[in-house]
Amino acid sequence: MTPSETPLKDKPIIRRLVGKGRSLWADGLRRLRKRRLAIVCFWISAAYFILAGFVFVSEIADWDNMLTRWNEEIGPSYQAPLKSYEWQSMDGQTKSGWSLFGTDFLGRSTFRKMLYGAKTSITVALCASLISLLIGVPLGAVAGYFRGWIDDLVVWLLTTLNTIPYILLVMAFAVVLRDKSLFGVPLRGVTGVYLAMGLTSWVGIARLIRGEIMKRKESEYVLAARAMGCSSGRIIFQHLLPNVFHIIIINFSLRFVTFIHSEVILSFLGLGETDKPSWGAMIDAARAELARNVWWEMAAATVAIFVLSLALNLFGDALRDCLDPKLRTD
Amino acid sequence: MGCQWVVLVLAIATVFLGCGLHKATPDSDENVLHLSLITKIQTLDSGNMRDVYGMTVGGNIFEALFGYHYLKRPYEVVPVLAEDLPQISEDKLTYTIRIRQDVRFQDDPCFADGKGRQVTAHDIVYAIKRIANVKYRSQNWPSWNDRIVGLDAFRDYTRQFADEWSVDYDYEVEGFRALDDFTLQIKLVRPWPQVVESVLSDMSTAPVAKEAVDYYRARIPQHPVGTGPYRLKTWRRGSYVELVRNANWRGQLYPSQGAPGDAEAGLLDDAGKPLPFVDRIFFRVIEEDQPRWLLFMRGELDFLGIPKDNFDEAIGSSGGELTEEMIQRNIRLEIYIDPSTFWVGFNLRDPVLGPNKPLRMAISRAIDRQALVDLLFNGRFEVAHGFVSPGMNSYDPNIAEYGYSRYDPAEAAELLKEAEKIHGGPIGPLKLGMPGVDNFSRQYAQFLQKYMSNIGLRLNVEYMDWPTYMSEVNNGHLQLFASGVSAGMPDAIDFLELFGTKYFAPGGNKFFYSNPEYDTLLEQAQVMFDSPERTALYRRMERMVMDDYPAVFTTHRVSYALYHSWYKNYKPHVFSYNVLKYRRVDQHERARYADLLAELKKR
Repeated sequence: MTPSETPLKDKPIIRRLVGKGRSLWADGLRRLRKRRLAIVCFWISAAYFILAGFVFVSEIADWDNMLTRWNEEIGPSYQAPLKSYEWQSMDGQTKSGWSLFGTDFLGRSTFRKMLYGAKTSITVALCASLISLLIGVPLGAVAGYFRGWIDDLVVWLLTTLNTIPYILLVMAFAVVLRDKSLFGVPLRGVTGVYLAMGLTSWVGIARLIRGEIMKRKESEYVLAARAMGCSSGRIIFQHLLPNVFHIIIINFSLRFVTFIHSEVILSFLGLGETDKPSWGAMIDAARAELARNVWWEMAAATVAIFVLSLALNLFGDALRDCLDPKLRTD
Repeated sequence: MGCQWVVLVLAIATVFLGCGLHKATPDSDENVLHLSLITKIQTLDSGNMRDVYGMTVGGNIFEALFGYHYLKRPYEVVPVLAEDLPQISEDKLTYTIRIRQDVRFQDDPCFADGKGRQVTAHDIVYAIKRIANVKYRSQNWPSWNDRIVGLDAFRDYTRQFADEWSVDYDYEVEGFRALDDFTLQIKLVRPWPQVVESVLSDMSTAPVAKEAVDYYRARIPQHPVGTGPYRLKTWRRGSYVELVRNANWRGQLYPSQGAPGDAEAGLLDDAGKPLPFVDRIFFRVIEEDQPRWLLFMRGELDFLGIPKDNFDEAIGSSGGELTEEMIQRNIRLEIYIDPSTFWVGFNLRDPVLGPNKPLRMAISRAIDRQALVDLLFNGRFEVAHGFVSPGMNSYDPNIAEYGYSRYDPAEAAELLKEAEKIHGGPIGPLKLGMPGVDNFSRQYAQFLQKYMSNIGLRLNVEYMDWPTYMSEVNNGHLQLFASGVSAGMPDAIDFLELFGTKYFAPGGNKFFYSNPEYDTLLEQAQVMFDSPERTALYRRMERMVMDDYPAVFTTHRVSYALYHSWYKNYKPHVFSYNVLKYRRVDQHERARYADLLAELKKR
């Protein structure tokens, strides 16, 4: 091979000018790393997820630890945070101790309940997100790609579901599912909640994917694939979807926060988790307790929700900025 | 764009128009009572009224044949529309009641010349036949079921008609007849000692003018035509109800006798004066606790039941004393027992709980009722030692001594061991049903779970909405269920019937408690008139039930009411709604309240 036959992109001068080729993902990741706040937010969210995972695994494996014993009496009722106390426990012994975030009406630790609440919220949000993605992405993609009557049908479904206020729809679903069961699993409590949220919230992602697919289905690589005789399914799922995947990721991270909020609202209304600690249930309990100056249960749950939603929101925003080619700034 | 503007203008106009309509607060110098209702009222049709707030309003419009003395305690039945107490035949089956001749309906367009006509015995017969009319679907029918000769036959007879108005009311009911215009005769299927207290004192038996029902038909719930001291002026659903004096009311004097202590409390200051004192009664519908509380504190409401969340603000941690802030404002407090009993019931048909009395006893001993009252009711309720509530005539003052309500976890653990022997192994998780998904139900259930786990019993809780809960309880699908009952009259027979085999669910006996000896005694008690023997029998029956532990009886409700110093002649009356005619307003004192507030603000 003579020097003149060196491909253009490998010529030193060109390499210096263009830099090494990077995929969209690698590029996004590189830019994300530069944002210190986004990284902090990522680790905060990750900590919540690890905590939730830990509780989840301990529950299944029946590990005895502080969090699975959230129901334990650790002091007298309504003990303020950081105060040491002496009390007579149910078995008649006098004990002394203190608690970080105070105790609730049965003398249980607010701190443990707060940590446990992460599992409830994150399980619900994760399951609901997955359900809504599993429904929304294929439906949006198929509608955007085929158009015609399929599109009409999907768009009709979308608009119909969209006209009903979201929380009302979720509540209606949660109430209907409450005394039903699916494959022998009762749909009471959280199971019903994430099913309800998943089944009602795929509209947003489906609409987004449909628009994106419509835009991209005329691009060269799709035409090329079609010219080579690829089937529609292959085009949609192997060529189009990977190219809109960043949208799904961003939507997922932002939607996650909404789901956590919805879970809290539903628990607050008594439609969500009833047996295990949940942030919504804690706030609901605190509503009456505030009149007794018991503020710590409310504070613990609110802070937990606030930090998680803030972290997820900031991280989601940063992710969007980094992955969306149109928002590239550097 | 133009269209949007039109919509905007319309929306704004609606808001202003709405304000105009709702601004109906009377001026402060009028002789008016300002009260609140915590929920919308459903109907002002006397025959179908069952909710407390409807009756709070309706009690001033309608009058029944009998009522309770306003001041005397224990509660004493007095004639209202009747001339005197009924004459009862030797066999206790026939009641003859003379009706006052000076009773007239309020003026209403439904009458020929718009003037209210005289009330006769036929109007009362009509009111009761109307309740029996199947097509009318009265909620008050169950109390009449199988009680009056011929009334059930009339009910069957009405089934053939297309609607409630086409029913022929000339059909003769033997047990309910007007002998002449002012004499009513009632024939009972079997003696019913509580007939006067339970139904003839109830607003549902107030005389109804057939003219009014025929004139208003489906609109009758909004057009009450009564005989009481007040009549309806305006009713804006969900906003306010306004009553004004009924010019046709025959008049009555404030009682001059009362219970011991009434004179000292100033309740006899108005003795002998003509009723009613107040010209208008204004009920505002305020569903949220906080606005109601703030209006009361500003002096815009005369009377208020303390909202749970404001309890500490009104009453210090001391329990029964008002806070300094309340005393400065001259606000008064009244604490009284609202006869009712709450329990955690056992389903005795359940194979685990039914045959295992030590298990039920263990559960009862393991629950600290005082802690329950302290934690869930701000220490307000009373611990239940038996199931008949204090405030009822046959309440046994010594019931606490029998120790049914004892909290003794050590004994409970012993009993549980015995129970496991009977059961033949460890007792698995029990299923508790809660009638609600709200925070209170959750905390209540968690409380029970905690105390059960203390003796090593696990409880699985199911939270249900009311209809699901009712059907689960009635079908015996739950093992334990939280429930309760309020008394409608001072006689405890309603409470005793809860344990009769005849009253199995869907009747009142949700426990499926069955004791042949008890049933025999119940049959005896049901036909006995008030006497020391009957009281002794009631108490004996109560202990019989308590000995079998069909439930853990937990609490009795205690009500707390606040009222301003200008709200005179207030005495809690738990069985009567016909009481606002006794209230008087000291307008000078009310006018001074604004100055008092300003002064307190300055300090």
